Amino acid sequence: MEAASVQVENIFKKTQGDKYIWLVVIFLSIISMLAVYSSTGSLAFKYQGGNMEYYVVKQGLMILFGLFLMYLAHKINYTYYSRIAQLLLFISIPLLAFTLIFGVEINDARRWLTIPVVNVSFQTSDLAKLGLILYLARALAKNQGNIKDFKSGFLPVMLPPIIVCGLIAPSNLSTAAILFATCLLLMFIGRINMKYIAIMGGAGILLLALIIIIAMNTSFHARVDTWISRITDFFGDGQEAYQMQQSKIAIANGGLFGVGPGNSTQRNFLPSPYSDFIYAIIIEEYGFIGALLLIVLYLFFLLRCIKLFTKSPGAFGAFLAVGLSFSLVVQALINMAVVVNLLPTTGVTLPMVSMGGTSLWFTSLAIGIILSVSRNVEKEEEREDGTTT
Amino acid sequence: MNTKKDIFWRIGLAYLFMIMLGAAIAWKVFYIQSVEGQRYRSMADSITTRYMPVLADRGNIYSYDGRLLATSLPNFEVRMDMKADGLTHEIFQQGIDSLSGCMAGLFRDKSTTDYKKQLTAARKRGDRYFLVKKNITYPQLLQLKAFPIFRYGQYKGGLIVLQSNKRTYPYKELANRTIGYMRDATVQPVGLEGAFNNQLTGIPGKRLMQKVSGGEFIPINDKNELDPQNGKDLITTIDINLQDVAENALLKTLVANEADHGCVVVMDVKTGAIRAIANLGRNEQGVYWENYNYAVGESHEPGSTFKLASIMALVEDGFVDIDDTVDVELGIHQYWNQTMRDAERHNLTRITVRSAFAHSSNVGISKLVEQHYNKDPEKYLSYLRELGLDKKLNIEIPGEQQPYIKDTKDKRFTRYSLPWMSVGYEIQISPLQMLTLYNSVANNGVMMKPYLVQQIQEYGLPVQHFDPVVLNKKICSDETLQAMKIILKEVVDSGTAKNLRNPNYSVAGKTGTAQIADKKHGYATRIYQSSFVGYFPAENPMYSCIVVVNAPSKGVYYGSAVAGPVFKEIADKVYATDLDIHPAEILYAENQQLIPQTKAGSRHELLYVCNQLGINLQAQSNQPWVTQQSGDSRQLVDKNVVEATGIVPDVKGMGLRDALYLLESCGLQVSVAGAGAVLSQSINPGAVIQKGTNISIVLSL
Repeated sequence: MEAASVQVENIFKKTQGDKYIWLVVIFLSIISMLAVYSSTGSLAFKYQGGNMEYYVVKQGLMILFGLFLMYLAHKINYTYYSRIAQLLLFISIPLLAFTLIFGVEINDARRWLTIPVVNVSFQTSDLAKLGLILYLARALAKNQGNIKDFKSGFLPVMLPPIIVCGLIAPSNLSTAAILFATCLLLMFIGRINMKYIAIMGGAGILLLALIIIIAMNTSFHARVDTWISRITDFFGDGQEAYQMQQSKIAIANGGLFGVGPGNSTQRNFLPSPYSDFIYAIIIEEYGFIGALLLIVLYLFFLLRCIKLFTKSPGAFGAFLAVGLSFSLVVQALINMAVVVNLLPTTGVTLPMVSMGGTSLWFTSLAIGIILSVSRNVEKEEEREDGTTT
Repeated sequence: MNTKKDIFWRIGLAYLFMIMLGAAIAWKVFYIQSVEGQRYRSMADSITTRYMPVLADRGNIYSYDGRLLATSLPNFEVRMDMKADGLTHEIFQQGIDSLSGCMAGLFRDKSTTDYKKQLTAARKRGDRYFLVKKNITYPQLLQLKAFPIFRYGQYKGGLIVLQSNKRTYPYKELANRTIGYMRDATVQPVGLEGAFNNQLTGIPGKRLMQKVSGGEFIPINDKNELDPQNGKDLITTIDINLQDVAENALLKTLVANEADHGCVVVMDVKTGAIRAIANLGRNEQGVYWENYNYAVGESHEPGSTFKLASIMALVEDGFVDIDDTVDVELGIHQYWNQTMRDAERHNLTRITVRSAFAHSSNVGISKLVEQHYNKDPEKYLSYLRELGLDKKLNIEIPGEQQPYIKDTKDKRFTRYSLPWMSVGYEIQISPLQMLTLYNSVANNGVMMKPYLVQQIQEYGLPVQHFDPVVLNKKICSDETLQAMKIILKEVVDSGTAKNLRNPNYSVAGKTGTAQIADKKHGYATRIYQSSFVGYFPAENPMYSCIVVVNAPSKGVYYGSAVAGPVFKEIADKVYATDLDIHPAEILYAENQQLIPQTKAGSRHELLYVCNQLGINLQAQSNQPWVTQQSGDSRQLVDKNVVEATGIVPDVKGMGLRDALYLLESCGLQVSVAGAGAVLSQSINPGAVIQKGTNISIVLSL
């Protein structure tokens, strides 16, 4: 008993980094457990013989393992991630190509790759995303001196996003587009010449159009149909799409304080209430207050990460924290925007909250890396304190 | 502007953008809730949903050889929606006369005019849920659906059909109390239906249903959210033929003796499997029915049948040899101020122990027990406990009583207790418990646990198997066991159960004639309980059996006279039908040179059977279907049968099984009349088959 409490104490002692970021993570995990438990009812009936606890226990274990990964990642000195960034990027590009051709098809899209031996499936785009953001942070940090220059500044930053997003796009257009936009945002922050960013953005839109045209004339019909229907659903003035309608009913049901945990009725009608549309269930059960809380949590998280930027002595660490945090929060806000029908349906999940396995782990790794930077900042501060006093 | 500052305003701008996006989301949530809220909430109101249970089919209960003892049959209730959208005035007026006529013809419970009157009145009232008829069978429903008006279905014809499942017991009263029933939470579950309710019920499924206008619930998805898992089937140990005999024999005795109630249990000696368990009691109208599981649930003073345990203790402890002698004092012995009497009057004095047992002398047995255990009654009682007589058997079905064997610490243990207990008073055990003891003597000292269920099956495949359970590997030494077998046989050979002796098979057992204590008047009212428990054949026992008849009221109350005949009838039935009980005999003597007449059929099977019987038949060729050349011929000739060629086969002379197989497998519809072998067929052999045409065959013995 005593030994266990000592161990727990040790873990707390060894856990460093911004306490507020840790707090946000714990908070999001709790929300995730509650929402997943409530929304997996029909799934539990379909696949687990009505065993309601199956999915929430599974999600709990996933989160625990995620926290473990986060802990490990934050223990590693962030400077190592500079090397790892290159490595990840070089691995993920061929993997993306491989997935595109041989991957496992889920919902008509080839996004998944199964690691042999351990038999775990993961979306290669998750890996590539992490690799790309890390790489971008490294490149932006390294070239700050001559960042406005085309050849030495822009070129090394430009190529990887184009390649990676180009490879993700055919199977997962929305993820590719969001990632691409995030990269542009990071370039803007990284002081790349606005002219180049504008050109690249324009090129990205052209590329998007090109992919749609190519895909329409090849075997990707199923996906193209999905894209087209999503976009027409959003802009069309006719019949509101079923999913959107159910999502709005959930939101309307929620009111100010919600119907209470576990009382959602819309979970029975809303397709995938535990992943893409989990925010709707959260609003239904916890109301406008819950909706606001989640937005504030993500923005607060982002704020803490930006604070790191100002404190971080090294450029790489600063860009790591900002790059990773922006990419997470952008994804979160886009997911919420979709649920409230501000944006067309995309199929991105709510980071740290939606039910899911490996993508949750990649998110955990990303937060772990941010915390590693934070740990370093704390160490620097301590040292400075030591020298001044 | 330095680099860091330059970056910082950019981050600030980006963060501002994020805040704006967040604010936009919050605003949109607010907008949906307030401005659009009413509209969406009203949409939600119209979709009221509920998970409705989908009932699983209840499992069947089978006899040990797979015959159906309990099953569920669908049962229908017909209602009529008089205001169905499509049920117009014309349709109703045109169809009502013939509909009423058809219904009167089908159900024969009301006249055509009655039906018409009722339906017309309901139509006038505009009933939406008018009860037409309850409890109709599936074939009746099929006919009803073809009737005028109803043939248009629910929307045009107003027909509403509700299905429920009705539990049916094909063998009616047989083993009814043991098979049991399970009604609802308010009724105490009974028998196997109650004990295995969980397995039989299965798991109800769930279906998400949505309330639509009109209060009706309709499924949302085209499949069940959770499919029901049908109940599992029970394979019992009951042999329905033996059960039939046991139940009838018991009934006969009860009626003849105007007894209050009785029970019979037949047990398979080697395994403890209960092959038959009959319980009959008299209701207020004087009719006997399975009203209580007496065999399991009625613990009472067993009387003389208990002497086996006493003798066993005496012999096992080395106090007595069955050839020793004891003075039975003309059947009367005074214990202090209580008198012990033998049930039957006699003028015997000093006789052997075995003979005292055979004549069921209370005096003899109680004196021996009192003499040898007086100093240490606990020694005797501990042996009874060793035999497990103080413990429940934990048979599958509910209702077993705790046996009562008191010990010396018991307040009610007096100086009379030992002698009276030794002859089966002042103790309470159930008939099943007593049978278990006798069965272990029959089973060479191995006490088996009685059981009723041998297997649980799901979709015809076993999911759980119950093996016989040994309760006590050796209840006594081999010498004691031999002695017990000898004295039990002596009861039938020369003792109180002489009436069971017969030349065909030998029986060993013990009679019991106990006075039972009336709740009000004690033993004074002279109510008796007659019993017989034993096994047969005595040399190589197959079955053990107990018969207990309570309160015979025609003046005859001796165990042998009242319970004995039931035992005998069961034993006779087993002897007559069970091939294993007979010593190997040559059933057919070849030297008689008579060739039996056989049905036409498969050459392989015919030759196999005849070979087994030692009859030498010869076939001319290797054709699969053959018949005898003539009635008593050794020669088999080919039948004109070629399977699956589109030619009608020649099935004359065949049994129904073969004929049906051949005809139906080539696509003919067969109608059958008579029994025996096929005498004629309506389409001649060799004709070309037109699939689906009807062929009728006439069978004759």
